[in-house]
Amino acid sequence: MKYLIIQLVLCCSTICAFTEVLPKFNNEDSLRPYALVAGGSKGIGYGIAIALAKRGYNLILIARHWDTLQTAKNNLEAKYHIHVDILSMDLSFDSCATAIAKWCTERNIRLKILCNVAGLGGANDYLSFPLDSLRYMVRLNIESCMALSLTLLPLLEKNAPSYILNVASMAGFAPIPIKNMYSATKSAVVFFSYSLRYQLKDKHISVSCLCPGPVYTKPEIVQDTKAKLGWFGNKMALDPETVGEVAVKKTLNKKLIIVPGTLAKISSSLIRFFPRRWVVNLYGSAGNKKKKG
Amino acid sequence: MNWAIVAGGSKGIGLGIAEALAKRSFNVLIVARNAEDLQHTKTFLEKKYLIQVEVFCGDLSHTETPAQLLEWFTTRHLPVNVLCNAAGLGGSIDFPNLPLEKIRTMIRLNLESAIALSYLFIPLLQQTTPSYILNVSSLAGFAPIPMKNVYAATKSGLISFSRSLKYLLKKDRISVSCLCPGPVFTKPAIEAETRKQMGWIGKQMAIRPDQVGERAVRAMLKRKMIIVPGRWSKLFSCLLRIVPQDYVARILYRFGKKK
Repeated sequence: MKYLIIQLVLCCSTICAFTEVLPKFNNEDSLRPYALVAGGSKGIGYGIAIALAKRGYNLILIARHWDTLQTAKNNLEAKYHIHVDILSMDLSFDSCATAIAKWCTERNIRLKILCNVAGLGGANDYLSFPLDSLRYMVRLNIESCMALSLTLLPLLEKNAPSYILNVASMAGFAPIPIKNMYSATKSAVVFFSYSLRYQLKDKHISVSCLCPGPVYTKPEIVQDTKAKLGWFGNKMALDPETVGEVAVKKTLNKKLIIVPGTLAKISSSLIRFFPRRWVVNLYGSAGNKKKKG
Repeated sequence: MNWAIVAGGSKGIGLGIAEALAKRSFNVLIVARNAEDLQHTKTFLEKKYLIQVEVFCGDLSHTETPAQLLEWFTTRHLPVNVLCNAAGLGGSIDFPNLPLEKIRTMIRLNLESAIALSYLFIPLLQQTTPSYILNVSSLAGFAPIPMKNVYAATKSGLISFSRSLKYLLKKDRISVSCLCPGPVFTKPAIEAETRKQMGWIGKQMAIRPDQVGERAVRAMLKRKMIIVPGRWSKLFSCLLRIVPQDYVARILYRFGKKK
Protein backbone atom coordinates (compact mmCIF):
# COMPACT_ATOMS: atom_id res chain seq x y z
CA MET A 1 0.00 0.00 0.00
CA LYS A 2 2.69 2.39 1.05
CA TYR A 3 4.60 1.54 -2.06
CA LEU A 4 1.56 2.24 -4.19
CA ILE A 5 1.02 5.66 -2.66
CA ILE A 6 4.61 6.60 -3.21
CA GLN A 7 4.33 5.52 -6.78
CA LEU A 8 1.15 7.52 -7.19
CA VAL A 9 2.78 10.60 -5.76
CA LEU A 10 5.76 10.09 -7.98
CA CYS A 11 3.53 9.65 -10.95
CA CYS A 12 1.61 12.77 -10.12
CA SER A 13 4.75 14.78 -9.68
CA THR A 14 6.14 13.60 -12.98
CA ILE A 15 2.86 14.46 -14.66
CA CYS A 16 2.94 17.84 -12.99
CA ALA A 17 6.50 18.32 -14.07
CA PHE A 18 5.56 17.30 -17.56
CA THR A 19 2.62 19.63 -17.76
CA GLU A 20 4.90 22.38 -16.64
CA VAL A 21 7.54 21.50 -19.14
CA LEU A 22 5.31 20.59 -22.02
CA PRO A 23 3.84 23.99 -22.83
CA LYS A 24 7.26 25.50 -22.51
CA PHE A 25 8.62 22.99 -24.92
CA ASN A 26 5.77 23.52 -27.33
CA ASN A 27 5.94 27.26 -27.10
CA GLU A 28 9.64 27.59 -27.39
CA ASP A 29 9.25 28.50 -30.99
CA SER A 30 6.50 31.04 -30.44
CA LEU A 31 8.15 32.43 -27.33
CA ARG A 32 11.07 33.50 -29.42
CA PRO A 33 10.94 37.18 -30.14
CA TYR A 34 9.67 38.19 -33.54
CA ALA A 35 11.04 40.77 -35.93
CA LEU A 36 9.03 42.21 -38.78
CA VAL A 37 10.96 43.24 -41.86
CA ALA A 38 8.96 45.27 -44.37
CA GLY A 39 10.71 44.83 -47.69
CA GLY A 40 12.72 41.90 -46.44
CA SER A 41 12.89 39.64 -49.46
CA LYS A 42 15.77 41.31 -51.26
CA GLY A 43 18.61 43.79 -50.89
CA ILE A 44 19.25 45.51 -47.59
CA GLY A 45 16.05 44.08 -46.13
CA TYR A 46 17.25 40.55 -46.75
CA GLY A 47 20.62 41.46 -45.24
CA ILE A 48 18.84 42.66 -42.13
CA ALA A 49 16.71 39.50 -42.06
CA ILE A 50 19.85 37.33 -42.11
CA ALA A 51 21.41 39.31 -39.28
CA LEU A 52 18.23 38.94 -37.22
CA ALA A 53 17.96 35.23 -37.99
CA LYS A 54 21.52 34.76 -36.77
CA ARG A 55 20.45 36.23 -33.45
CA GLY A 56 17.54 33.80 -33.16
CA TYR A 57 14.63 36.05 -34.03
CA ASN A 58 11.61 34.58 -35.74
CA LEU A 59 10.82 36.62 -38.80
CA ILE A 60 7.85 38.11 -40.59
CA LEU A 61 8.87 39.18 -44.05
CA ILE A 62 6.68 41.45 -46.14
CA ALA A 63 7.22 42.18 -49.81
CA ARG A 64 5.35 42.40 -53.07
CA HIS A 65 6.49 39.24 -54.84
CA TRP A 66 5.48 35.88 -53.51
CA ASP A 67 8.27 33.90 -55.18
CA THR A 68 11.15 35.99 -53.84
CA LEU A 69 9.54 35.82 -50.42
CA GLN A 70 9.29 32.05 -50.68
CA THR A 71 12.96 31.70 -51.62
CA ALA A 72 13.96 34.00 -48.78
CA LYS A 73 11.87 31.92 -46.36
CA ASN A 74 13.37 28.64 -47.56
CA ASN A 75 16.93 29.93 -47.39
CA LEU A 76 16.54 31.40 -43.93
CA GLU A 77 14.70 28.43 -42.42
CA ALA A 78 17.22 25.98 -43.85
CA LYS A 79 20.19 27.85 -42.50
CA TYR A 80 18.94 29.06 -39.13
CA HIS A 81 16.61 27.36 -36.68
CA ILE A 82 13.89 29.95 -36.81
CA HIS A 83 10.36 30.29 -38.06
CA VAL A 84 9.67 32.63 -40.98
CA ASP A 85 6.23 33.96 -41.85
CA ILE A 86 5.73 35.66 -45.16
CA LEU A 87 3.09 38.15 -46.24
CA SER A 88 2.83 39.24 -49.83
CA MET A 89 1.44 42.76 -50.11
CA ASP A 90 2.16 46.12 -51.62
CA LEU A 91 3.08 48.39 -48.74
CA SER A 92 2.14 51.53 -50.65
CA PHE A 93 -1.54 50.61 -50.30
CA ASP A 94 -3.52 52.44 -47.64
CA SER A 95 -5.08 49.35 -46.11
CA CYS A 96 -1.80 47.53 -45.65
CA ALA A 97 -0.56 48.81 -42.31
CA THR A 98 -3.85 48.14 -40.55
CA ALA A 99 -4.04 44.67 -42.06
CA ILE A 100 -0.52 43.80 -40.90
CA ALA A 101 -1.19 45.06 -37.40
CA LYS A 102 -4.37 42.98 -37.28
CA TRP A 103 -2.53 39.90 -38.50
CA CYS A 104 0.09 40.33 -35.77
CA THR A 105 -2.30 41.01 -32.89
CA GLU A 106 -4.57 38.12 -33.84
CA ARG A 107 -1.64 35.74 -33.54
CA ASN A 108 -0.42 37.51 -30.40
CA ILE A 109 3.04 37.80 -31.83
CA ARG A 110 5.88 38.85 -29.54
CA LEU A 111 7.03 41.62 -31.81
CA LYS A 112 10.32 43.03 -30.63
CA ILE A 113 11.74 44.63 -33.74
CA LEU A 114 10.12 46.53 -36.58
CA CYS A 115 12.27 47.23 -39.64
CA ASN A 116 10.89 49.61 -42.26
CA VAL A 117 13.10 48.80 -45.20
CA ALA A 118 10.68 48.94 -48.11
CA GLY A 119 11.66 51.76 -50.40
CA LEU A 120 12.00 52.74 -53.98
CA GLY A 121 14.52 54.93 -55.73
CA GLY A 122 16.19 55.54 -59.03
CA ALA A 123 18.26 58.01 -60.98
CA ASN A 124 16.71 60.98 -62.81
CA ASP A 125 13.50 60.47 -60.95
CA TYR A 126 11.60 63.72 -60.85
CA LEU A 127 11.00 64.96 -64.35
CA SER A 128 11.34 61.70 -66.22
CA PHE A 129 9.11 59.47 -64.10
CA PRO A 130 5.33 59.53 -64.48
CA LEU A 131 3.46 61.30 -61.71
CA ASP A 132 1.99 58.06 -60.42
CA SER A 133 5.45 56.66 -59.71
CA LEU A 134 6.30 59.80 -57.75
CA ARG A 135 3.22 59.32 -55.64
CA TYR A 136 4.07 55.66 -55.25
CA MET A 137 7.49 56.66 -53.98
CA VAL A 138 6.07 59.05 -51.39
CA ARG A 139 3.62 56.42 -50.24
CA LEU A 140 6.12 53.60 -50.04
CA ASN A 141 9.12 55.49 -48.67
CA ILE A 142 7.38 57.73 -46.13
CA GLU A 143 3.78 56.77 -45.62
CA SER A 144 4.29 53.04 -45.18
CA CYS A 145 7.04 53.68 -42.65
CA MET A 146 4.93 56.07 -40.59
CA ALA A 147 1.82 53.94 -40.89
CA LEU A 148 3.51 50.72 -39.77
CA SER A 149 5.21 52.48 -36.88
CA LEU A 150 1.84 53.81 -35.79
CA THR A 151 -0.23 50.66 -36.15
CA LEU A 152 2.37 48.35 -34.61
CA LEU A 153 3.16 50.71 -31.76
CA PRO A 154 0.78 49.03 -29.25
CA LEU A 155 2.38 45.66 -29.92
CA LEU A 156 5.90 47.03 -29.60
CA GLU A 157 4.93 48.80 -26.43
CA LYS A 158 3.61 45.58 -24.95
CA ASN A 159 6.85 43.77 -25.69
CA ALA A 160 9.14 46.59 -24.60
CA PRO A 161 12.09 46.98 -24.63
CA SER A 162 11.67 46.89 -28.37
CA TYR A 163 13.23 48.45 -31.44
CA ILE A 164 12.25 50.29 -34.59
CA LEU A 165 14.72 50.46 -37.46
CA ASN A 166 13.90 52.81 -40.32
CA VAL A 167 15.99 52.59 -43.43
CA ALA A 168 16.72 55.98 -44.95
CA SER A 169 19.83 56.79 -46.95
CA MET A 170 22.75 59.15 -47.03
CA ALA A 171 20.63 60.96 -49.60
CA GLY A 172 18.44 61.94 -46.66
CA PHE A 173 21.18 64.18 -45.27
CA ALA A 174 21.41 66.43 -48.30
CA PRO A 175 19.38 66.83 -51.47
CA ILE A 176 20.66 65.04 -54.55
CA PRO A 177 19.19 66.80 -57.61
CA ILE A 178 19.08 63.77 -59.88
CA LYS A 179 17.50 61.72 -57.12
CA ASN A 180 15.14 64.47 -56.15
CA MET A 181 12.17 62.46 -54.95
CA TYR A 182 14.32 59.81 -53.36
CA SER A 183 16.30 62.21 -51.21
CA ALA A 184 13.22 64.27 -50.30
CA THR A 185 11.41 61.19 -49.05
CA LYS A 186 14.47 59.87 -47.25
CA SER A 187 15.04 63.23 -45.59
CA ALA A 188 11.53 62.96 -44.19
CA VAL A 189 12.33 59.46 -42.89
CA VAL A 190 15.46 60.75 -41.14
CA PHE A 191 13.45 63.53 -39.49
CA PHE A 192 10.69 61.16 -38.54
CA SER A 193 13.20 58.83 -36.87
CA TYR A 194 14.82 61.64 -34.91
CA SER A 195 11.49 62.82 -33.56
CA LEU A 196 10.16 59.34 -32.95
CA ARG A 197 13.18 58.41 -30.89
CA TYR A 198 12.40 61.10 -28.38
CA GLN A 199 8.68 60.47 -28.42
CA LEU A 200 9.11 56.79 -27.64
CA LYS A 201 11.96 57.04 -25.19
CA ASP A 202 9.70 56.79 -22.15
CA LYS A 203 8.03 53.73 -23.61
CA HIS A 204 11.37 51.89 -23.88
CA ILE A 205 11.20 51.63 -27.62
CA SER A 206 14.48 52.51 -29.24
CA VAL A 207 14.36 54.08 -32.70
CA SER A 208 17.26 53.83 -35.13
CA CYS A 209 17.74 55.10 -38.63
CA LEU A 210 20.04 53.38 -41.09
CA CYS A 211 21.60 55.80 -43.58
CA PRO A 212 23.88 53.79 -45.83
CA GLY A 213 25.91 55.14 -48.70
CA PRO A 214 25.87 53.14 -51.94
CA VAL A 215 24.93 49.51 -51.37
CA TYR A 216 25.44 47.02 -54.16
CA THR A 217 22.03 45.41 -54.16
CA LYS A 218 21.56 45.32 -57.92
CA PRO A 219 23.96 45.27 -60.88
CA GLU A 220 22.56 48.63 -62.07
CA ILE A 221 23.53 50.25 -58.80
CA VAL A 222 27.07 48.92 -59.13
CA GLN A 223 27.31 50.47 -62.58
CA ASP A 224 25.65 53.71 -61.56
CA THR A 225 27.89 54.20 -58.53
CA LYS A 226 31.05 53.47 -60.46
CA ALA A 227 30.08 55.89 -63.23
CA LYS A 228 29.07 58.74 -60.93
CA LEU A 229 31.25 58.47 -57.88
CA GLY A 230 34.16 56.63 -59.50
CA TRP A 231 36.87 55.12 -57.37
CA PHE A 232 35.59 56.76 -54.23
CA GLY A 233 32.10 55.41 -54.69
CA ASN A 234 33.40 51.92 -55.25
CA LYS A 235 35.45 52.14 -52.06
CA MET A 236 32.48 53.45 -50.13
CA ALA A 237 30.03 50.82 -51.36
CA LEU A 238 29.11 47.84 -49.23
CA ASP A 239 27.29 44.60 -49.85
CA PRO A 240 23.79 44.27 -48.36
CA GLU A 241 24.76 41.56 -45.89
CA THR A 242 27.41 43.72 -44.24
CA VAL A 243 24.96 46.61 -44.08
CA GLY A 244 22.31 44.38 -42.50
CA GLU A 245 24.74 43.02 -39.94
CA VAL A 246 25.96 46.47 -38.90
CA ALA A 247 22.42 47.82 -38.85
CA VAL A 248 21.07 45.10 -36.57
CA LYS A 249 24.06 45.21 -34.26
CA LYS A 250 23.76 48.96 -33.77
CA THR A 251 19.99 48.90 -33.53
CA LEU A 252 20.26 46.49 -30.63
CA ASN A 253 22.83 48.88 -29.12
CA LYS A 254 20.21 51.64 -29.41
CA LYS A 255 22.16 53.85 -31.76
CA LEU A 256 20.14 56.55 -33.50
CA ILE A 257 21.86 57.26 -36.80
CA ILE A 258 23.64 54.28 -38.30
CA VAL A 259 26.04 54.83 -41.18
CA PRO A 260 27.86 51.61 -42.04
CA GLY A 261 31.40 51.82 -43.43
CA THR A 262 34.22 54.17 -42.51
CA LEU A 263 34.30 56.12 -45.75
CA ALA A 264 30.54 56.52 -45.77
CA LYS A 265 30.69 57.72 -42.18
CA ILE A 266 33.29 60.35 -43.04
CA SER A 267 31.40 61.59 -46.08
CA SER A 268 28.14 61.67 -44.17
CA SER A 269 29.65 63.92 -41.50
CA LEU A 270 31.06 66.16 -44.22
CA ILE A 271 27.68 66.34 -45.92
CA ARG A 272 26.00 67.30 -42.71
CA PHE A 273 28.65 69.86 -41.89
CA PHE A 274 28.80 71.71 -45.22
CA PRO A 275 26.13 74.19 -46.26
CA ARG A 276 23.42 72.38 -48.18
CA ARG A 277 23.88 74.62 -51.22
CA TRP A 278 27.44 73.39 -51.78
CA VAL A 279 26.44 69.80 -51.42
CA VAL A 280 23.60 70.19 -53.91
CA ASN A 281 25.94 71.72 -56.46
CA LEU A 282 28.50 69.00 -55.87
CA TYR A 283 25.95 66.24 -56.25
CA GLY A 284 24.45 67.98 -59.25
CA SER A 285 27.75 68.20 -61.11
CA ALA A 286 28.51 64.57 -60.30
CA GLY A 287 25.14 63.66 -61.77
CA ASN A 288 25.78 65.66 -64.92
CA LYS A 289 29.17 64.06 -65.41
CA LYS A 290 27.51 60.77 -66.04
CA LYS A 291 25.05 62.17 -68.53
CA LYS A 292 27.84 63.58 -70.68
CA GLY A 293 29.87 60.44 -70.41
CA MET B 1 -1.33 89.63 -67.89
CA ASN B 2 0.27 86.68 -66.15
CA TRP B 3 -1.36 84.40 -63.70
CA ALA B 4 -0.22 83.17 -60.33
CA ILE B 5 -1.57 80.03 -58.71
CA VAL B 6 -1.76 80.07 -54.94
CA ALA B 7 -2.61 76.66 -53.53
CA GLY B 8 -4.08 77.16 -50.09
CA GLY B 9 -4.49 80.88 -50.66
CA SER B 10 -7.80 81.55 -48.95
CA LYS B 11 -6.37 81.98 -45.48
CA GLY B 12 -3.17 82.44 -43.51
CA ILE B 13 0.18 82.65 -45.23
CA GLY B 14 -1.34 81.71 -48.57
CA LEU B 15 -3.63 84.73 -48.42
CA GLY B 16 -0.67 86.93 -47.52
CA ILE B 17 1.17 85.64 -50.58
CA ALA B 18 -1.89 86.11 -52.79
CA GLU B 19 -2.22 89.71 -51.65
CA ALA B 20 1.46 90.44 -52.25
CA LEU B 21 1.12 89.00 -55.74
CA ALA B 22 -2.05 91.01 -56.37
CA LYS B 23 -0.18 94.14 -55.33
CA ARG B 24 2.32 93.37 -58.08
CA SER B 25 -0.60 93.06 -60.50
CA PHE B 26 -0.55 89.34 -61.04
CA ASN B 27 -3.89 87.75 -61.73
CA VAL B 28 -4.45 85.19 -59.05
CA LEU B 29 -6.02 81.76 -59.01
CA ILE B 30 -6.72 80.58 -55.50
CA VAL B 31 -7.12 76.92 -54.67
CA ALA B 32 -8.67 75.84 -51.39
CA ARG B 33 -11.21 73.49 -49.89
CA ASN B 34 -13.75 75.87 -48.47
CA ALA B 35 -15.95 77.57 -51.11
CA GLU B 36 -17.13 80.23 -48.72
CA ASP B 37 -13.62 81.29 -47.75
CA LEU B 38 -12.68 81.33 -51.42
CA GLN B 39 -15.52 83.64 -52.36
CA HIS B 40 -14.71 85.91 -49.47
CA THR B 41 -11.06 86.13 -50.54
CA LYS B 42 -12.04 86.77 -54.15
CA THR B 43 -14.22 89.75 -53.31
CA PHE B 44 -11.63 91.09 -50.90
CA LEU B 45 -8.78 90.97 -53.42
CA GLU B 46 -10.80 92.21 -56.37
CA LYS B 47 -12.09 95.17 -54.42
CA LYS B 48 -8.64 96.19 -53.28
CA TYR B 49 -6.57 95.58 -56.40
CA LEU B 50 -7.23 95.94 -60.11
CA ILE B 51 -6.75 92.32 -60.97
CA GLN B 52 -8.70 89.27 -61.93
CA VAL B 53 -9.20 86.63 -59.28
CA GLU B 54 -10.41 83.13 -60.00
CA VAL B 55 -11.11 80.40 -57.50
CA PHE B 56 -10.82 76.65 -57.69
CA CYS B 57 -12.50 74.62 -55.01
CA GLY B 58 -10.78 71.31 -54.34
CA ASP B 59 -8.98 69.24 -51.75
CA LEU B 60 -5.32 69.04 -52.70
CA SER B 61 -4.74 65.99 -50.56
CA HIS B 62 -6.84 64.07 -53.10
CA THR B 63 -4.92 62.43 -55.89
CA GLU B 64 -7.02 63.78 -58.75
CA THR B 65 -7.12 67.47 -57.78
CA PRO B 66 -3.79 68.61 -59.30
CA ALA B 67 -4.72 67.12 -62.67
CA GLN B 68 -8.14 68.82 -62.53
CA LEU B 69 -6.43 72.10 -61.82
CA LEU B 70 -4.14 71.66 -64.80
CA GLU B 71 -7.15 70.93 -66.98
CA TRP B 72 -8.83 74.10 -65.74
CA PHE B 73 -5.82 76.07 -66.94
CA THR B 74 -5.26 74.36 -70.24
CA THR B 75 -8.90 74.72 -71.31
CA ARG B 76 -8.69 78.47 -70.69
CA HIS B 77 -5.23 78.88 -72.27
CA LEU B 78 -3.99 81.16 -69.52
CA PRO B 79 -0.29 81.94 -69.08
CA VAL B 80 1.00 80.80 -65.69
CA ASN B 81 3.95 82.63 -64.27
CA VAL B 82 3.99 81.84 -60.58
CA LEU B 83 3.12 78.67 -58.70
CA CYS B 84 2.85 78.88 -54.90
CA ASN B 85 2.38 75.71 -52.91
CA ALA B 86 1.11 77.12 -49.64
CA ALA B 87 -1.42 74.43 -48.81
CA GLY B 88 -0.36 72.67 -45.66
CA LEU B 89 -1.57 71.11 -42.50
CA GLY B 90 -0.05 71.07 -39.06
CA GLY B 91 -1.00 71.36 -35.45
CA SER B 92 0.01 70.60 -31.95
CA ILE B 93 -1.43 67.09 -32.12
CA ASP B 94 0.86 64.87 -34.11
CA PHE B 95 2.26 61.35 -34.25
CA PRO B 96 1.50 59.07 -32.36
CA ASN B 97 -1.76 60.66 -31.16
CA LEU B 98 -3.08 61.36 -34.62
CA PRO B 99 -5.24 58.81 -36.43
CA LEU B 100 -3.60 57.17 -39.41
CA GLU B 101 -5.92 58.86 -41.88
CA LYS B 102 -4.90 62.31 -40.66
CA ILE B 103 -1.23 61.42 -40.99
CA ARG B 104 -1.78 60.34 -44.57
CA THR B 105 -3.67 63.56 -45.32
CA MET B 106 -0.82 65.57 -43.86
CA ILE B 107 1.80 63.82 -45.98
CA ARG B 108 -0.32 64.10 -49.09
CA LEU B 109 -1.18 67.74 -48.58
CA ASN B 110 2.17 69.01 -47.35
CA LEU B 111 4.47 67.06 -49.61
CA GLU B 112 2.69 65.16 -52.34
CA SER B 113 0.50 68.03 -53.52
CA ALA B 114 3.52 70.34 -53.93
CA ILE B 115 5.37 67.64 -55.82
CA ALA B 116 2.40 66.91 -58.06
CA LEU B 117 1.52 70.55 -58.80
CA SER B 118 5.13 71.42 -59.64
CA TYR B 119 5.37 68.36 -61.82
CA LEU B 120 2.21 69.17 -63.77
CA PHE B 121 2.77 72.91 -64.13
CA ILE B 122 6.44 72.92 -65.11
CA PRO B 123 5.56 72.59 -68.83
CA LEU B 124 3.29 75.65 -68.52
CA LEU B 125 5.83 77.59 -66.51
CA GLN B 126 8.44 76.88 -69.17
CA GLN B 127 6.37 78.81 -71.70
CA THR B 128 6.37 82.04 -69.70
CA THR B 129 9.95 82.23 -68.41
CA PRO B 130 11.30 83.72 -66.26
CA SER B 131 8.81 82.07 -63.97
CA TYR B 132 8.71 81.14 -60.31
CA ILE B 133 7.82 78.31 -57.97
CA LEU B 134 7.40 79.08 -54.28
CA ASN B 135 7.03 76.20 -51.86
CA VAL B 136 5.95 77.02 -48.34
CA SER B 137 7.85 74.96 -45.81
CA SER B 138 8.66 75.93 -42.24
CA LEU B 139 11.49 76.42 -39.78
CA ALA B 140 10.43 72.98 -38.59
CA GLY B 141 11.91 71.65 -41.84
CA PHE B 142 15.43 72.51 -40.70
CA ALA B 143 15.44 70.36 -37.60
CA PRO B 144 13.21 67.62 -36.27
CA ILE B 145 10.63 68.73 -33.70
CA PRO B 146 9.49 65.68 -31.73
CA MET B 147 6.17 67.28 -30.82
CA LYS B 148 5.44 68.01 -34.47
CA ASN B 149 6.90 64.84 -35.82
CA VAL B 150 5.12 64.28 -39.12
CA TYR B 151 4.79 67.99 -39.80
CA ALA B 152 8.55 68.55 -39.50
CA ALA B 153 9.26 65.43 -41.55
CA THR B 154 7.06 66.53 -44.44
CA LYS B 155 8.45 70.04 -44.34
CA SER B 156 12.02 68.77 -44.41
CA GLY B 157 11.09 66.66 -47.41
CA LEU B 158 9.72 69.78 -49.03
CA ILE B 159 12.93 71.75 -48.44
CA SER B 160 14.99 68.91 -49.86
CA PHE B 161 12.65 68.74 -52.84
CA SER B 162 12.87 72.49 -53.45
CA ARG B 163 16.66 72.51 -53.36
CA SER B 164 16.91 69.71 -55.88
CA LEU B 165 14.24 71.26 -58.05
CA LYS B 166 16.03 74.58 -58.15
CA TYR B 167 19.11 72.85 -59.47
CA LEU B 168 17.12 70.83 -61.99
CA LEU B 169 15.24 73.84 -63.37
CA LYS B 170 18.14 76.28 -63.46
CA LYS B 171 18.64 75.97 -67.19
CA ASP B 172 14.89 76.35 -67.81
CA ARG B 173 14.93 79.77 -66.14
CA ILE B 174 12.35 78.70 -63.60
CA SER B 175 13.38 79.91 -60.19
CA VAL B 176 12.48 77.80 -57.18
CA SER B 177 12.18 79.29 -53.70
CA CYS B 178 11.29 77.82 -50.40
CA LEU B 179 9.69 79.90 -47.67
CA CYS B 180 10.61 78.75 -44.17
CA PRO B 181 8.88 81.02 -41.66
CA GLY B 182 9.03 80.70 -37.92
CA PRO B 183 5.80 81.03 -35.96
CA VAL B 184 3.18 82.97 -37.93
CA PHE B 185 0.09 84.07 -36.07
CA THR B 186 -2.50 82.83 -38.54
CA LYS B 187 -4.89 81.51 -35.94
CA PRO B 188 -5.52 82.43 -32.30
CA ALA B 189 -4.63 78.85 -31.34
CA ILE B 190 -1.15 79.22 -32.81
CA GLU B 191 -0.64 82.49 -30.98
CA ALA B 192 -1.53 80.98 -27.64
CA GLU B 193 0.63 77.92 -28.27
CA THR B 194 3.66 79.93 -29.34
CA ARG B 195 3.44 82.20 -26.32
CA LYS B 196 3.20 79.25 -24.02
CA GLN B 197 5.92 77.09 -25.51
CA MET B 198 8.49 79.58 -26.70
CA GLY B 199 7.78 82.49 -24.41
CA TRP B 200 9.49 85.77 -25.16
CA ILE B 201 11.59 84.54 -28.07
CA GLY B 202 8.52 83.09 -29.72
CA LYS B 203 6.75 86.40 -29.47
CA GLN B 204 9.71 88.23 -30.95
CA MET B 205 10.03 85.69 -33.75
CA ALA B 206 6.40 85.67 -34.75
CA ILE B 207 5.12 87.80 -37.62
CA ARG B 208 1.82 88.49 -39.30
CA PRO B 209 0.79 86.48 -42.35
CA ASP B 210 0.59 89.52 -44.62
CA GLN B 211 4.17 90.48 -43.74
CA VAL B 212 5.32 86.94 -44.43
CA GLY B 213 3.55 86.99 -47.79
CA GLU B 214 5.03 90.32 -48.76
CA ARG B 215 8.60 89.31 -47.92
CA ALA B 216 8.19 85.90 -49.50
CA VAL B 217 7.03 87.33 -52.81
CA ARG B 218 9.71 90.00 -52.83
CA ALA B 219 12.46 87.45 -52.20
CA MET B 220 10.94 85.00 -54.65
CA LEU B 221 11.04 87.57 -57.45
CA LYS B 222 14.71 88.10 -56.57
CA ARG B 223 15.22 84.35 -57.03
CA LYS B 224 16.25 83.65 -53.49
CA MET B 225 16.33 79.99 -52.58
CA ILE B 226 15.61 79.78 -48.85
CA ILE B 227 13.45 82.59 -47.52
CA VAL B 228 13.28 83.08 -43.76
CA PRO B 229 11.28 86.20 -42.89
CA GLY B 230 12.15 88.07 -39.71
CA ARG B 231 15.48 88.74 -38.06
CA TRP B 232 14.91 86.46 -35.09
CA SER B 233 13.74 83.60 -37.23
CA LYS B 234 16.77 84.02 -39.47
CA LEU B 235 19.10 83.80 -36.51
CA PHE B 236 17.21 80.83 -35.19
CA SER B 237 17.33 79.07 -38.55
CA CYS B 238 21.11 79.48 -38.69
CA LEU B 239 21.39 77.94 -35.25
CA LEU B 240 19.14 75.06 -36.21
CA ARG B 241 21.29 74.31 -39.21
CA ILE B 242 24.62 74.52 -37.38
CA VAL B 243 23.80 72.58 -34.23
CA PRO B 244 23.75 68.79 -34.73
CA GLN B 245 20.20 67.57 -35.27
CA ASP B 246 20.29 65.16 -32.38
CA TYR B 247 20.86 68.03 -29.92
CA VAL B 248 18.18 70.13 -31.55
CA ALA B 249 15.68 67.32 -31.31
CA ARG B 250 16.55 66.80 -27.66
CA ILE B 251 16.23 70.48 -26.79
CA LEU B 252 12.98 70.88 -28.70
CA TYR B 253 11.61 67.77 -27.04
CA ARG B 254 12.18 69.33 -23.65
CA PHE B 255 10.55 72.56 -24.82
CA GLY B 256 7.53 70.67 -26.03
CA LYS B 257 7.24 68.71 -22.81
CA LYS B 258 6.87 71.93 -20.83
CA LYS B 259 3.40 72.26 -22.17
